[in-house]
Amino acid sequence: MNSASIALNDCSSARPSHARIVGVGESALGKVPDLSPLQLQQVAAQAALDDAGLDWSDIDGLLTTPIRAAQWAMPCGVVAEGLGIRSPRYLATLDVAGASGTAMIHQAAMAIEAGQCDTVLCVAGQNLLTYSARADAVRQMAEGGWAHPQFEAPFGPLIASLYALVAQRHMHEYGTTAEQLAEVAVTMRAHAALNPLAQKRTPITVSDVLGSRMITSPLHVLDCALVSDGAAAIVVTRADRARDTRNRSVRLLGQGYGFSHAYIGHYESLTRTGAVDSGRTAFSMAGLRPSEIDIAQLYDCFTITVIVELEDLGFCGKGEGGAFVQGGRIGLAGKLPVTTHGGLLSACHPGLAGGMFHVIEAVRQLRGQCGGRQVPDAQIALVHGNGGVIGIHCTLIMAAE
Amino acid sequence: MILSPSLLADAQTAPWWSHIERGVFTLPRCEACGLWHFHPQPRCPHCGRAEIAWRPASGWGQVHSFTIVHRAPSPAFSADVPYVIAIVATDEGPHLMSRLVGVAPGAVSIGLPVQARVDRLSQEGPMLVLFEPRAAE
Repeated sequence: MNSASIALNDCSSARPSHARIVGVGESALGKVPDLSPLQLQQVAAQAALDDAGLDWSDIDGLLTTPIRAAQWAMPCGVVAEGLGIRSPRYLATLDVAGASGTAMIHQAAMAIEAGQCDTVLCVAGQNLLTYSARADAVRQMAEGGWAHPQFEAPFGPLIASLYALVAQRHMHEYGTTAEQLAEVAVTMRAHAALNPLAQKRTPITVSDVLGSRMITSPLHVLDCALVSDGAAAIVVTRADRARDTRNRSVRLLGQGYGFSHAYIGHYESLTRTGAVDSGRTAFSMAGLRPSEIDIAQLYDCFTITVIVELEDLGFCGKGEGGAFVQGGRIGLAGKLPVTTHGGLLSACHPGLAGGMFHVIEAVRQLRGQCGGRQVPDAQIALVHGNGGVIGIHCTLIMAAE
Repeated sequence: MILSPSLLADAQTAPWWSHIERGVFTLPRCEACGLWHFHPQPRCPHCGRAEIAWRPASGWGQVHSFTIVHRAPSPAFSADVPYVIAIVATDEGPHLMSRLVGVAPGAVSIGLPVQARVDRLSQEGPMLVLFEPRAAE
């Protein structure tokens, strides 16, 4: 009886992770016209190594993502060569769309725990804004296969339209309002105003959002993520090597993945995402409940994304996300501070690297390094990545050592 | 110049486009379990069998969600704005994305009964399955 229940506990809780996040860093963000994608990544990687107190020679693993601003047939090879990582014992290009930023950390930890390598550099980014005028970037993205090339793209959706279909249905089912969507954008901007690196730092109001140009109803331009230049880097190493790094290390308590669909047009639920599964798995592995999370770094490609994630990760009931984001509840002094660096909506969104900034911010919050936007006593962070059109998800739960 | 999406057709999607060229809206249906699906897949998403056949659809459905697009993603759509993209829940079951035509954007609502119309969005455009408000009975 006793041994059975112990065995059950062993199954439902995670093996302790043997990997630690020890360094985080980024390039200049926003408009950075004088650096190439590789240069941006080099700057970010150097900053992350400096933060860890490690050297390039310590890196024996590499993870990166595809980019759009250059024709790289083999991104991990191009980045390994460009950054001078000569004999990696492990390297890969990871692409789970917007969930790549969170999934990279877990995959780096897996490579280390498998004994394949000791220290993984996760690095990604590009000059997406400079590479193309904003109009071109929007067109490229619209043609990037997010809408099915044969069955959806011929009707002319923006990527924002695909999310607008989710927002419109959410409003219909649950009475979510445009003001509630706008509240997410206002909060992200308030956080970005306290982040010296953020691309957009001028505070905005709900009326500003509602008065901004309607792009694809019900989403206004201020309901949509930025297009940015920038790169992010995160160093993950073996727990025993993490003891003498420069700053406090951060460990994974749990993680989970969720998937529901490749294209939104035929996804019948529309308002329920794979975050239900990724969150449930991560919480179960960590042995924690949503009420025990101090900060949530939620992927915010559009305002509706945050509302749906809050519901599906269990921070509120289904349909209650709109009300949840009001009243300062997701602000720095709120019940659940969300995406405290300003997110994709106001800080930086250079493509697949965008979700890495959520991880970087979580690490800094857990270390107490966030200055004016520091959440007091932040001990447990959840970081969530959302990819495709609410189709693919990866959730991390982490704490500082 | 709008390239026809049928140029992207492969063995799995070619029947869709050849039927549409003849003005017929069809959907994949599993001969084993009798359920319909979309997009066409090599295995039935309901029962996992691979006995898929294209069958004429009723063309009837309801608006499941919609968005009014005010900013075209590319010059090919600039002349159309504002236009309505909808997800239609067909009476057969599958949902699919389409354009709503024959209705003022402001008059569209979720639940609106619609019927398919195989037609072009512009004179030089490809044949597509569009939807319009269902005619009064």
